[in-house]
Amino acid sequence: MNTTISGKAPTLLLAAVALFLVVGMPSLNAAGAVSDFTLNTWGKYLCYAILAIAVDLLWGYTGLLSLGQALFFSLGGYMLGMHLMLMIGKLGAYKSDLPDFMVFLGLKELPDFWQPFYSFPFAALMVLAIPALLAGIFGYLAFRSRIKGVYFSILTQALTYGAALMFFRNDLMMGGNNGFTDFRSLLGADLRSPEIKRALYLASAISLSAVFLFCKWLTTSRFGLIQRAIRDSENRVLFSGYSAANFKLFVFVISAVIAGIGGALYVPQVGIINPSEMMTEKSLEAVVWVAVGGRGTLIGPVLGAIGVNYLKSWATTEYPDLWLIILGATFVIVVLFLPKGIVGVPAQIKSMIDRRKAIKRDRADDLAAINPSPEAE
Amino acid sequence: MLVPYQLPGILVFGSEATNGTEDAKARAHMRFAPPSLSASIGCRSPILRAWFFAFGALLLSAIAEARPAREVVAEAAVMMDADQQRSLVEGLGEGEPGDVSLWLAKWKEGEVYLYQDAAGTDIAVLLEGEADPEGKQTLSRVADGQAVLDADGASVRASKDDLYLADTDSGLRRVMKGVTDRIALASPDAKKRLQAVQDTGLEQDPAKLVLLEQRLSVETDRSIRNALAEAMAMIRLRDGDPAIREAAVLELGELGSIAAQGAIKTVRGEAEKAGQAELVAACDKAQRGIEGHIARVNTVGTLFRGLSLGSVLLVVAIGLAITFGLMGVINMAHGELIVVGAYTTYLIQNLFAGGIHMSPFGLKINIPGMNLSGGAWDCYFLVALPASFLAAAGVGLLLERGVIRFLYKRPLESLLATWGVSMVIQQLFRLVFGANNVQVESPAFLSGNWTVNDIVFGWNRVFVIVFAVLIIFLTWLVLNKTSLGLLIRAVMQNRGMAACMGVRTERVNMMTFAFGSGLAGLAGAFLSQIGNVGPNLGQNYIVDSFMTVVVGGVGNIMGTVISALGIGMADQSLQQILGNPVLGKILVLGAIILFLQWKPSGLFATRSRSLD
Amino acid sequence: MSMVNYLLAAEGLNKSFDGFKAINELNFVLEKGELRTVIGPNGAGKTTFLDLITGRTKPDSGTLHFEQTHDLLRMNEFEIYRLGIGRKFQTPTVYTDHTVRENLLLSLAGPRSIWHSLFGRIRKEQEERMDEILDTIKLTERAHAKAGSLAHGQKQWLEIGMLLAQDAKLLLVDEPAAGMTDEETHRTGELLLSLAGKHTIVVIEHDMTFVRQISQGRTVTVLHQGHVLCEGPVDKVQNDERVIEVYLGRKSKAA
Repeated sequence: MNTTISGKAPTLLLAAVALFLVVGMPSLNAAGAVSDFTLNTWGKYLCYAILAIAVDLLWGYTGLLSLGQALFFSLGGYMLGMHLMLMIGKLGAYKSDLPDFMVFLGLKELPDFWQPFYSFPFAALMVLAIPALLAGIFGYLAFRSRIKGVYFSILTQALTYGAALMFFRNDLMMGGNNGFTDFRSLLGADLRSPEIKRALYLASAISLSAVFLFCKWLTTSRFGLIQRAIRDSENRVLFSGYSAANFKLFVFVISAVIAGIGGALYVPQVGIINPSEMMTEKSLEAVVWVAVGGRGTLIGPVLGAIGVNYLKSWATTEYPDLWLIILGATFVIVVLFLPKGIVGVPAQIKSMIDRRKAIKRDRADDLAAINPSPEAE
Repeated sequence: MLVPYQLPGILVFGSEATNGTEDAKARAHMRFAPPSLSASIGCRSPILRAWFFAFGALLLSAIAEARPAREVVAEAAVMMDADQQRSLVEGLGEGEPGDVSLWLAKWKEGEVYLYQDAAGTDIAVLLEGEADPEGKQTLSRVADGQAVLDADGASVRASKDDLYLADTDSGLRRVMKGVTDRIALASPDAKKRLQAVQDTGLEQDPAKLVLLEQRLSVETDRSIRNALAEAMAMIRLRDGDPAIREAAVLELGELGSIAAQGAIKTVRGEAEKAGQAELVAACDKAQRGIEGHIARVNTVGTLFRGLSLGSVLLVVAIGLAITFGLMGVINMAHGELIVVGAYTTYLIQNLFAGGIHMSPFGLKINIPGMNLSGGAWDCYFLVALPASFLAAAGVGLLLERGVIRFLYKRPLESLLATWGVSMVIQQLFRLVFGANNVQVESPAFLSGNWTVNDIVFGWNRVFVIVFAVLIIFLTWLVLNKTSLGLLIRAVMQNRGMAACMGVRTERVNMMTFAFGSGLAGLAGAFLSQIGNVGPNLGQNYIVDSFMTVVVGGVGNIMGTVISALGIGMADQSLQQILGNPVLGKILVLGAIILFLQWKPSGLFATRSRSLD
Repeated sequence: MSMVNYLLAAEGLNKSFDGFKAINELNFVLEKGELRTVIGPNGAGKTTFLDLITGRTKPDSGTLHFEQTHDLLRMNEFEIYRLGIGRKFQTPTVYTDHTVRENLLLSLAGPRSIWHSLFGRIRKEQEERMDEILDTIKLTERAHAKAGSLAHGQKQWLEIGMLLAQDAKLLLVDEPAAGMTDEETHRTGELLLSLAGKHTIVVIEHDMTFVRQISQGRTVTVLHQGHVLCEGPVDKVQNDERVIEVYLGRKSKAA
């Protein structure tokens, strides 16, 4: 599956792209050649790319189509969001130490589970731990009872649905409908200053690169072999002595953590997180990016996430009514005609030409062999 | 004090601290159907109408000699002597009920004025006709409806300020109330009679006891007899004799009178002060009895609502049980097929009324409607059912031919492709019908409810249960008694073998999918009757329907039936216990995940011996 | 039971699917180092029996022990595998998207933990072992081809190679000769014979020529309707009245 991006030249190209994203863009922004808005938009895209890799690690490599990765993305975002809410301090509309929504709900004191989030390291730890914990519990239950294929997808959909319902409730003390917004500062710096925006972009670019490299290593190790073996023939894996459930659980947790990181970087850049971000539609949208880019590869999801979102930014302003139709139709077309996505297009064209040739050759052979009646079959 | 009252579809408990008559009456209203609803039922039910005529004729013959109510009112309104006035009004009880209520209401509500003619006699009049710029209207006599003429024979015009209001004092109003109550108690409409009995009970006016006793001696309707007993007992709670009070309290306890809770509490308070230990004990006993009754009402109500929710789930999931369960196709656009059915119902409804007028994509569509109303309009739903089946089946057919047939061997990808399709369809709905919900009115035979022993059975809920049974029967019939069903089962069991036997599996797939989609359309027609119709309607049900099919065991229709009812019951019971619908729903989702731990392939697993 | 140390002992096994008795009061014992051939008509319960041993399905009743002490009924597939029970499926089941060598690598004896899969190194003797197996199964040249691109017979061999890589104590081989040419079948027979003694092997087979080849002087078990019909040397079994009846369908119900 990696044939399209194997070899030295693509590696160099990748390194160049990564270098451009990590060093080039921020420098250009500092020099004024790239606007703050563009940089911010790209920072968002890179976070989406991280989410897309998380989806692909499950779907493309392990054959687990999770419709709940947006949930882990949002959970990561919520965890950092809690810290950001507390950092607003008395700058909120109600001039209270409590986040505005709590004042609105008539709370006098910060709930206990909010207390530790004053600490940034704790919040950062929770960004990783909470998605991992939820994925661990859910994955343990699902994989233990051998729920797989579409059943797994449907169940993750239910999980997402349930979680979104929960976050929509005010008494969860997570902001209800409106979620968290109106963030002011992070680590003492003003979130609206260009410097911190650049820093957040940089953090996203570096995280994406790190996630990319980590997944590259993961999928090319023997673990990666087992991962793909599970995708292709899970029962055989059991009869090769591997506990498929443990491997799946591990990938699921890793993927949740990666998604959580993406979400935590996303939230300060867009300045809002609410329960609609964790709905199934969002997860499916991430699956679209992966499908469009090319699943089972690592570059595919990144390309897909950036490409589709670029298209979205353009289409939602130019043709707001038609955007969903464009997205839906793209998806149907990709699934039907480009099962390997953009990344797979060259290989697909090549195999098509080969097949043409082969058919021509066969036909010539057939004609030579059974000249009298070519339609014997 | 806990009083259950009816919100649309949900029986809730509200706590009330006050105990005023007005409050109690308001609550009593809420507990039963809104008055407008019960009235409409009364008129629309043919049986009641026939009864009304028969009874009405009897009544009319009996009061043939009684003076018309308007004459009496005209006479009474100008009377100075309060006692005479009262006795005159009292006599009205014998008059024609509708007329009496009408004229008393006019009087009470200040529509009757006094006009002094040239001779200085007061005449009771009404202001009628268009007001001129000075606010003057013509006057008509209350007594006979004739215009008031001045000496020249021209009609007199006056404004409100020129006239005296025909006042009513509280004593008179009480008498009027007594008259109207008596009329209401004798109302030929059983619902109104019941309402009157309950109102009278809540008033706890000892003077009314006689009235109720009289009624009891002639009343034949069982539920009204019960209500009479309850009302009389409630009035006896005000009796001076503690023994009678105690008996009444105990009787109310046995009757499980929810309405009497407040009154009993008052009696208990008084008894405690007066040191009547026995009465206090009786009150406590009665209270326990009533609470037990409430618990039973709630339990039955919950079961009923669970059953109807389960039926809704069943109706929306049955199509999925075919396409997903039998064919293994994950159709994420199932919800949109439901919406196709719902919008079809909407269009048919409009066709029966004012017509279809839309302008999607700049096109002007104007289809004149049939402008029907009443019973003929009600029939739209009967047309909408097959229409929505066909519309959704058609869309399903296109979907199968255009997308799904390429993906039979790739279930995950059919999930994704159909999701793309669902997004496109949803947006198309938004562009055609607008992003907001559209209004679909229920035919008369689906609105209203039916109250038995304080348990409210909404007709639409009863209907959904019947509907679910019919759909299951239809599905069973198609699968087991038709040649299509035979082919479907053959292909689902062994596609290759069926193909070898000459079955055109492609065609069977197509028909099966269309059938499943059509069932989704029926569900849509149904959902349009119990909720809003909008582009997102399908999304609300997609998770639930997949859960239902998965829990039931894929490929097993019976499993789907049982799981739908089970999930419906669990959902409603948890809602009742937790008092929070969202939390209940979350718990149900959690329970489903745990349930699949225990039975990973659902309630009824289909055995498979193949690897993978 | 007797004092002999059985490698595998099944007692009173029962398994039915929707009322169909696939395995019926089955008793079966296997000594260490045996090469046992199991034959029987379609539906005799052969594959279901292997499913029971390898943990794919659980019986309704009965006991199943490996090396006396391990209760197989309490274990799942991969735990049973780790005891040293390997299985070749009726239809070749290999990882089609992996290369031949990767298929073997995944089957090599050794730790099966996630940690090892991430950080474990492939030792030199393991490389050699893979080369050796590739040679044995005649797939050296296709070592880096995707397993999905192999011919049917080659896939069968690859799967046997995967069993070898596993170094299993008990090899369960389900119809190894299916879809092979006569020459390939013969070579498969030789391969199995060469393994006998070192490993304990159970072969399920239809092809009587093949059965004769591998079971000379060894015990053959005949299964019928989920039950052991008879057991003994191949010649005796072939001439047994009951066996003939079962195979030729005389007086017997359709299986």
